[in-house]
Amino acid sequence: MRSEGVLRSYLPFAVLAAVLVVFPFVASTNLVNIGVFALIYGLAAIGLSLLMGLAGQVSLGHAAFFAVGAYTNAILITRYQVHGVLAAGAAVVVSMLIALLVGIPLLRLRGHFLALATLGLGIIVSVVVRELDVTGGTSGIFGIPKPEINGRVYDTPQEFFWLMTPVVVIGLLLARNLVRSRTGRALSAVNDSEVAAECLGVNTFALRLRVFILSAGYAGLAGVFYAYWLAVVSPEASGFQLSVKMLLMVVLGGLGTVWGAITGSIMVQGLDEGMRVLIPQLIPGATGEVQLVGFGVVLVLVIILLPGGLAQLAAMVTARLRGRQVERPAAGRSSPLESDGAPAAGGQGGHGEDGEPGSPYLGDVLDSAQIPERGSLVLSVRELTKRYGGVTAVREVNLDVYAGEILALIGPNGAGKTTCFNMISGVLAPTDGTIEVRGRRVEGRRPHVVAALGATRTFQNLQVFGSSTVLGNVAVARHLRSRSGVVRGMLSLARREERDIERIARAAVAAMGLADDADRLVKDLPFGRQRKVEVARALALSPMLLLLDEPMAGLSGPERDGLAALLRRTREAGVAVVLVEHDVDAVMALADRVAVMDEGRLIALGAPSVVRQDPAVIAAYLGTDDEADALLRQAAKEVY
Amino acid sequence: MAGLQVQGLEAGYDRLQVLHGIDVDVAPGELVAVIGANGAGKSTLLRAVSGLLRPRAGRVLLNGEDITTASAERIAARGLAHVPENRLVFPSLTVDDNLSLGGWTRRKDGHRAERRRQVLELFPRLADRICLPAGALSGGEQQMLAMARALMAGPSVMVLDEPSLGLAPRVVGEIITTLGRLRDDQNLAVLLVEQNVRAAFRVADRVLVMDRGRVVAEGTPDQLADDERVRAAYLGGGSTSSGSVDRPAAEARPAKATATP
Amino acid sequence: MSDLLQLVFSGLAQGAVYGLIALGFVAIFAVREIVNLAQGEYAALAGLSAISAVTAGVPLLPAVVLVVPMVVMVAVLIERLCIAPIRKMTPLLSIILTLGISTALKAIMLLIWGPQARGLPAFPGRDIVLAGVSIRSQELWILGISAVVGAAVVWAYEHTLLGKAMRACAEQPVAARLVGISPRMATMIAFGVAGFVGAVAGLVGSPIYFSSWDYGLGLGLKGFVAATLGGLVSLRVALFGGLLLGVLENLVAGYIDTGYRDAVAFLVLLLVLLVRPQGLVLKASAARV
Repeated sequence: MRSEGVLRSYLPFAVLAAVLVVFPFVASTNLVNIGVFALIYGLAAIGLSLLMGLAGQVSLGHAAFFAVGAYTNAILITRYQVHGVLAAGAAVVVSMLIALLVGIPLLRLRGHFLALATLGLGIIVSVVVRELDVTGGTSGIFGIPKPEINGRVYDTPQEFFWLMTPVVVIGLLLARNLVRSRTGRALSAVNDSEVAAECLGVNTFALRLRVFILSAGYAGLAGVFYAYWLAVVSPEASGFQLSVKMLLMVVLGGLGTVWGAITGSIMVQGLDEGMRVLIPQLIPGATGEVQLVGFGVVLVLVIILLPGGLAQLAAMVTARLRGRQVERPAAGRSSPLESDGAPAAGGQGGHGEDGEPGSPYLGDVLDSAQIPERGSLVLSVRELTKRYGGVTAVREVNLDVYAGEILALIGPNGAGKTTCFNMISGVLAPTDGTIEVRGRRVEGRRPHVVAALGATRTFQNLQVFGSSTVLGNVAVARHLRSRSGVVRGMLSLARREERDIERIARAAVAAMGLADDADRLVKDLPFGRQRKVEVARALALSPMLLLLDEPMAGLSGPERDGLAALLRRTREAGVAVVLVEHDVDAVMALADRVAVMDEGRLIALGAPSVVRQDPAVIAAYLGTDDEADALLRQAAKEVY
Repeated sequence: MAGLQVQGLEAGYDRLQVLHGIDVDVAPGELVAVIGANGAGKSTLLRAVSGLLRPRAGRVLLNGEDITTASAERIAARGLAHVPENRLVFPSLTVDDNLSLGGWTRRKDGHRAERRRQVLELFPRLADRICLPAGALSGGEQQMLAMARALMAGPSVMVLDEPSLGLAPRVVGEIITTLGRLRDDQNLAVLLVEQNVRAAFRVADRVLVMDRGRVVAEGTPDQLADDERVRAAYLGGGSTSSGSVDRPAAEARPAKATATP
Repeated sequence: MSDLLQLVFSGLAQGAVYGLIALGFVAIFAVREIVNLAQGEYAALAGLSAISAVTAGVPLLPAVVLVVPMVVMVAVLIERLCIAPIRKMTPLLSIILTLGISTALKAIMLLIWGPQARGLPAFPGRDIVLAGVSIRSQELWILGISAVVGAAVVWAYEHTLLGKAMRACAEQPVAARLVGISPRMATMIAFGVAGFVGAVAGLVGSPIYFSSWDYGLGLGLKGFVAATLGGLVSLRVALFGGLLLGVLENLVAGYIDTGYRDAVAFLVLLLVLLVRPQGLVLKASAARV
């Protein structure tokens, strides 16, 4: 089965390779010439597609890396007579180095600012190549010889097309593998919910930086071929128009799909040539880069009508051919364009009777080696305070949590419970106070740092990875327990690790009674089950501290009982569980200790039976009988 | 028919149905309180009434006029004021500007100065802070400003979402008193969503208890005061809440900000 | 010394044009969190249209007065056709979308007016020499008109009810709807304002800096840089940012190399983004959190 699946997954690449090999035999020289450019830009577009689709970052200056590759190659060959292959390699490395240098500061920016910063980078590169002597100023570098390998010179469009074919096919294959790898899984999770991915230990910044560098490498390699094919490298190679063109290729093909990049580049290159010929015929006297009209219009139309690009169209057509009900356009596959880290849509709110979560699975999921001795201090919070402007959401909270206990955090709406969770898990930086997880200070650190210490959480406003399956969601939680990086991912070398991830993920899914839904998309699940997915995901991290924010909300009675049983067993395994919950009865029955918050303060902490009788707690929930009552009575008198 | 009538209202988000057929009537000069646990659908009810969320079924009548499918802006112009959860004052604008914008839908009728005077009489504390940016006010003052802003449109119906949230008991008392005064002096129809049961019971003419998108009990405060269902809905009788998705978009903003540190 | 003064003065004139464009960025971003990459195109469109009108025999003043509302209409129309239909706008989406709009506008201008750059005739007046600095009358026009328009826009946002309503929309969209302010209307007005300042910038600048189909790209980007200095939300800082950038560019061009003039803006951009992404405004705006 497995090898058959692997074969099938490589079949499209074989087909693509065959088509590309045959193409120069059947097409006119003119068409092959267009094809060569399509392949060159396509290679760069694959990289950009990884950056935009996988890392969720837009680069408006990708031509900068393309130009760096082209110029480096040209300079090394014409000026220093470096061997072609070596020059190409050096060109790619230089592109990637520059990406590393600018990526470290730039990728800390977000949204609009990153996009505009890359645009600025593009313009700086284009100014620099125009000004420097070594790049030949405005006229550029001439006389780059056609590539020669083993005495064979690739100088006709056909020959050059064949030279590029394996490069493009392999480039595409590597990119596809990366999307399916551990890195790809983590980044796709980041696109759905950055905060949840971080809380599962994904170092968003580091991964994005790697993909940024990789995409620069693709662009640099494309630049190398460009230099060879044109025999000239001029500042045009760094132009803004080229960046727009690459962007259009990726958007048209469909963000997040590497196949879309290559399809998009073929179409855009065709469009480019077509418009160049067509427009001057329609409008006499039209000169210059009139094909830009087409670029602009297509870009706008795609965004408005088909935000998922051709990939979305293809998905819709296949769905219709298979006779399935066609979903709404955007529902086909969530396009990164439409996700901004907002919580995924809820489900039907149904109350499935999933039966007892299976206990035998829990042992597989929780890793006893990672869990500290029962009763030892795992979390220590001191004088924790959070102020927003004039409002103090959390005020000087002190709290210790020990391994092997369930601590419930309760309190009325707006009491500061979730804010506490946010600070402990690293989502928010406290204004004041300290947080120690297993003796390490973590206040103000990023969530993935906290997760690496074995503390993870679920979210009150669900933060599931809506566009992947239940199993895919849970597999992200194994990020910290696996190691394969970008290179191993691209080469598909992590098969065994992937099998382990799947085994544990399935166990966690089964432990939450979700086995039947394992391969369904999470966004299609009812709300209650989405909540269980979050718990399964948190468990799959093999945590030693589990923070659950209202895990029972949306669950039916039996489901709540099942979850309670699971949490008890998790406690027996030595994990510390902290939960925020509104179902006071359930909390009192489940928790070893109860902490009550009101108006940002911790007003009570102790055994459930004690807390239940605490007058301050009763007052917080129902309003006080004495002070406020007196005030209200007095107020009522004023009215009547 | 004056006041607010809600008939068989159903509403939700995406695939999640939150309200399963709600009926509420609020007559002029009447204050109806809606209580219930987190996630019961109280905020969703208000959002569906004021047009922030389009109902899926049922009708909403404002002074006899069907406003079920009207936009929030239109509904505001028709005389329904929604005081949102978390107050949502315009923080960088002054108290005075907040009030002026409250009267946006009536900006051309020439009674703004008169209404402003009335509103400031009702909330004298705001008069002292009239030139301060709203963001500099305390929580209680912001709540008062949110109410004052809503009153500047001269509404006939006012709906409030947890005005007591995060406020000290004394301020809650003040706000509840003012609500009673508005009902009695200005003949407003008031629909109040509250977590603070005692405060709500003090002032309400009638109380509805919501659970999982349905009204499960209804009556005068006296009738409901000792009702087990009220206690259950609050302190958790094991039958609370259909989820905490009942969260207004207003709150999604700060939530999003915190999600990207 | 007079060299320096000369560079600074002509930099101020150029910077005033950037400042106007920057206002357009802020006007839209403050309401909808969209960076409108087509902002510079409004200026190019205004300049080229006015040149055509003048060539066709329309006197300068009526031509200018006619072109401004036309560009405003174009800006609003584009908003209605391309921005309004998008239900859920994300940063990535808005950038690609406005980039598409910008590219299409540019190419349409290329089709209509061809590739060569042209200038409007200078506005009436005599050039003067003051303390060794030669001042072109057009530069005085630029500074004067920019000051009036800039002040008017800032005043409108800070003191009129409509302006306050726009700010309210930006700060608390939900509450704005609840008091009856329509976000659709606010977005439309914001684009109108952006079209207006863009058109003015294009018209006053055209006699000196010329207008051409691809003039908008660089201009727009520099306006964006100026707007970034104010964190994209402060109108005043955006205006002054424009002036600062214009002067800085001129100094680099004068003392280092004209070729590097265009790189200045982006070095400033990178520096600002890296050091203070929230802009140079000292008081972190609570409204934006």
